[in-house]
Amino acid sequence: MNSTVSIPDISNRFFLLKCFMVILVLVFLGLFPFVSDNRFYISLITEMMIYGLLAMSLDVLLGYTGLLSFMHNTYMGICAYAVGLFLIHISPESLWLACIAGIVFTSLVALPVGWVQVRTGGLAFALLTLAFGMMFYTIVWKWYALTGGDDGLMGMPNPDITLFGWHLGNSGNPTTIYLFTLIIVTICFFLTRRIINSPFGAVLEAIRENEDRAAFIGINVRRYKLLGWMLACILASIAGALFILYKGYIGPSTMSAFAGAGVLMMVLLGGMGSLWGAFAGAVIFIYIQDYISTMTEHWEIFLGLFVIFLVLFLPTGFAGLGDYFKRFRKA
Amino acid sequence: MKKIVTISLGLMMVFSLLASQQVFAKDPVKIGVLVPLTGIVAQGGLEMKMGIEMAAKEKGTILGRPIELYVEDTQVKPPVAVSKAEKLVYKDGCKALIGVFSSGVGLALAANIDKLNVPFLTTHVMTTEFYGIHPLVFRSGQLANDQTAVGNVKGILARPDLKEKTYYVLVHDYAWGHDAGQRFIDLAKENGIKIYNEDYDKAPISTKDWSSYISKIKASGVDGVYIAFITNVIPVFAKQMSDFGLQDKVKTISAAAPGPLELEAGGEACYGIFGASDWSWDVDTPESNDWEMRFWEAYKTIPSDAAAHSYVGAMNLFNGIEKAGSTDAEAIAKALKGISFDGPYGNVRISPKDNCMRNSAVLTETMAAPENPFGAKVTMKVLHTFTAEELGPPE
Amino acid sequence: MNIFIQIQRTGNLIMSGIFSTIIDLLLNSLVLSGVFLIVAIGLNIIYGLSRIMNMGHGALYAVGAYIGYSLVAAGVNYFAAILITPLLVGGIGLLIERSIILPMRKRSMVYTLILTYGLMFFLDGMIKLIWGNTPRFVELPAFMQGMISIFGTQYPVYRLMTIFLIAAIMIGLMLLLNKTKAGIIMRAASTIPEMVSCLGVNMGYVHMGAFMLGCAMAGAAGIIAGPLTTIDPLMGGEMLISSFVVVVIGGLGSLRGAVIAAILIGFVQTFTEFFITDLAMVIVYIMMAVILAFMPRGLLGEGRFE
Repeated sequence: MNSTVSIPDISNRFFLLKCFMVILVLVFLGLFPFVSDNRFYISLITEMMIYGLLAMSLDVLLGYTGLLSFMHNTYMGICAYAVGLFLIHISPESLWLACIAGIVFTSLVALPVGWVQVRTGGLAFALLTLAFGMMFYTIVWKWYALTGGDDGLMGMPNPDITLFGWHLGNSGNPTTIYLFTLIIVTICFFLTRRIINSPFGAVLEAIRENEDRAAFIGINVRRYKLLGWMLACILASIAGALFILYKGYIGPSTMSAFAGAGVLMMVLLGGMGSLWGAFAGAVIFIYIQDYISTMTEHWEIFLGLFVIFLVLFLPTGFAGLGDYFKRFRKA
Repeated sequence: MKKIVTISLGLMMVFSLLASQQVFAKDPVKIGVLVPLTGIVAQGGLEMKMGIEMAAKEKGTILGRPIELYVEDTQVKPPVAVSKAEKLVYKDGCKALIGVFSSGVGLALAANIDKLNVPFLTTHVMTTEFYGIHPLVFRSGQLANDQTAVGNVKGILARPDLKEKTYYVLVHDYAWGHDAGQRFIDLAKENGIKIYNEDYDKAPISTKDWSSYISKIKASGVDGVYIAFITNVIPVFAKQMSDFGLQDKVKTISAAAPGPLELEAGGEACYGIFGASDWSWDVDTPESNDWEMRFWEAYKTIPSDAAAHSYVGAMNLFNGIEKAGSTDAEAIAKALKGISFDGPYGNVRISPKDNCMRNSAVLTETMAAPENPFGAKVTMKVLHTFTAEELGPPE
Repeated sequence: MNIFIQIQRTGNLIMSGIFSTIIDLLLNSLVLSGVFLIVAIGLNIIYGLSRIMNMGHGALYAVGAYIGYSLVAAGVNYFAAILITPLLVGGIGLLIERSIILPMRKRSMVYTLILTYGLMFFLDGMIKLIWGNTPRFVELPAFMQGMISIFGTQYPVYRLMTIFLIAAIMIGLMLLLNKTKAGIIMRAASTIPEMVSCLGVNMGYVHMGAFMLGCAMAGAAGIIAGPLTTIDPLMGGEMLISSFVVVVIGGLGSLRGAVIAAILIGFVQTFTEFFITDLAMVIVYIMMAVILAFMPRGLLGEGRFE
């Protein structure tokens, strides 16, 4: 498994181009809601950004640490419920407090689960994520009094977003939440990139490549796996907080095995081991799923064929296409 | 920053107002249809779609403009439904939303209707929470839970054998199931009908293996069971009750009407299910028979009540838009209050008090079907017809 | 809360018809465990020999159920259908193995996992395309309908038959593994594949055979379980999750572990469903989490016995 992104090579002649592209994309995204008033597209891009963040968090786990999780969306869901419940029952106005409470709560849940899971690796780890994911899903689904069960969390308020006393807007406003999401996601992206490109990230990649060897050179494999897991879960919980603020609603379907598979597809589509690839994967996946499900009620057949095709012929995903081109040019 | 946001918001509003004026001119009237096409109620969603499509075809045009239906699959998931609704309104430009099977989805949509700002008329949601829930939300569809409870309780009281039974209450574990069960229990207690478990038993919507529940029913020794299950699941439960030999010993009374195709598949095991519904193809009036034949010609499948009340609801919506003279949300909402339509089961009127419909209904029991043009072997036989006033709620 | 009232109430229920209820529950548990067992063993066979976790296993189970339904509806004798269906599903397994699994042999397991996941969507979608969304009921031959008096309770005949059918399959499997050459090769290959290869056995055929056998088991479970409830397009996904729970608790690739786990889960699920319906599945998952916390490799670890 080759990663397509590693320590940034400043001397790389593409580096300036990449920087320029990134700035261009951010500017475009930032100006978008002011150019187009179409609420549907604003919401769609917000959703893509949130799922992109979730996909990126799974990529940290899968692409960098080498641990497969079938239901990473579980932690996004738990945080979304936590934030929602906090806003509904405790304090409808304190947005930041709710988010922090949600992230902390989710981390507290993810920690023991992670501790149990990192004692294994590979397939066993993946199945454990499925098992725990189903457990949380079932708890949320059944606990009608708290979570509203199948109907989901109702009555979410729309608190205002204030930063240091400066009123930025109301979270019910699609443009406000779009910009808020854009900023948070961008910050997370660059932070994650920084972490991945640090020695810590290198250790994670070492574990992914060969666990035993990493242990031989003195790395505490279990501890680093757990840290990688926690990083991924924290990012997922941020995505969850953004999700419920954006949607105003959370239901158990977001925490289901089916949705978990969706996140996995996004990472695969975008290319494992590439952070921005995860975003690309999310965009493509959401678009395709929406497009295909509108066209035909038999979209599952196409989704299945698509995945099979992808795995057989394009395992490095979207980000890996760059490699293909490079190879092409050299030949 | 705030100034920029406000100015741009202002510009956006002006722009969208201008844009919407454009749309008015000669475009078709776009109606968004939200029904479940996958998942456990896929068959029910399909029947609703057929009813609405049939109404659109028969109505032809509204305000001289053709009707264009945009159909989206809710997958019985509230967040998906809300996303699809946004798509229908903002991307496809739909001026009204119709359909929705599940109460959970309906409530989520109603909570978000301010964002969408179009009228929403449900043709199936049965929860009592829909009464007066929002000025833009209407119901013209299957009987609501309280109306069904009234129908069922009156039906039970009218039959001495049913009156004496003790009923075990079993519902699907979501908003509609809880509401339906509670309504029945409250009304039953007021009227002296014996209930075994007042804290009704709940089963997940996805339950297919009813053996543990049936074991409980068996062990409790009751002779009646009141179920609040999604229509497609009712015959599944009935078949397993029959497998366990309880069909004759325990009378099944249902808060929802069973789906006709599933009844066919279940066959004899599904005989004897008692319940109130707005319509059944057994209803023998000229309008009803005529409607059934038109439906049969178009779709070649047994006319279902889901299709019938969706047809009526769609007609009410189309006529409402016609009456309003425009596709403006407020105007349509005003026009829908008090509007009525004469269809296969008589006059269906949307009450201005709470935006929900009043109509007559029938008490039915499933049994072997008489000769019929659809090739159906099981029918919901009409035992009694209720008037709209009898069922309430009062206005 | 509500739970205590439920327990109290079911307690009262039991007292009134205690013996027959217990028998009911025991038999229900055996039926449930049996179905889980067949599916889980199929999964384990594929994993044990090829190290592939077949995510499409649930969908194959559903395919078996639907094929069985169609055969019976077309007038085929029920017992003949029970024999034919696993063969057909095994044949489908062969097609799958040759076309998409084979090229993945050299690649990392993650990809195969996702590949079979895509397969699951494809098969589930095909089921909906061919048979539609309506749940189906299987027509059982007359002598299998109805109840029989056993151990003091009235119990459906077919459910009883299910237990016997499953036992027969298990015996057949044991004979296959212990007495036939193919079985011995399979058992060896699950422990040391390289050695088996050295001895001149074509491992390609072994992998193929394992996959086919696993799929056939799923198909068999499908047609047997079909008449128990109904056949609908969602049954594949549900069975997949349940079978994973069994396999994970029992130990990946361990057949004996699958037996123990299937019985454990079947009984726990049935009994808790009766007493505390709301929490039944949660308890199953919590039990799994606890077991895995102490024994992450499952009760009997990886490997293969019996």
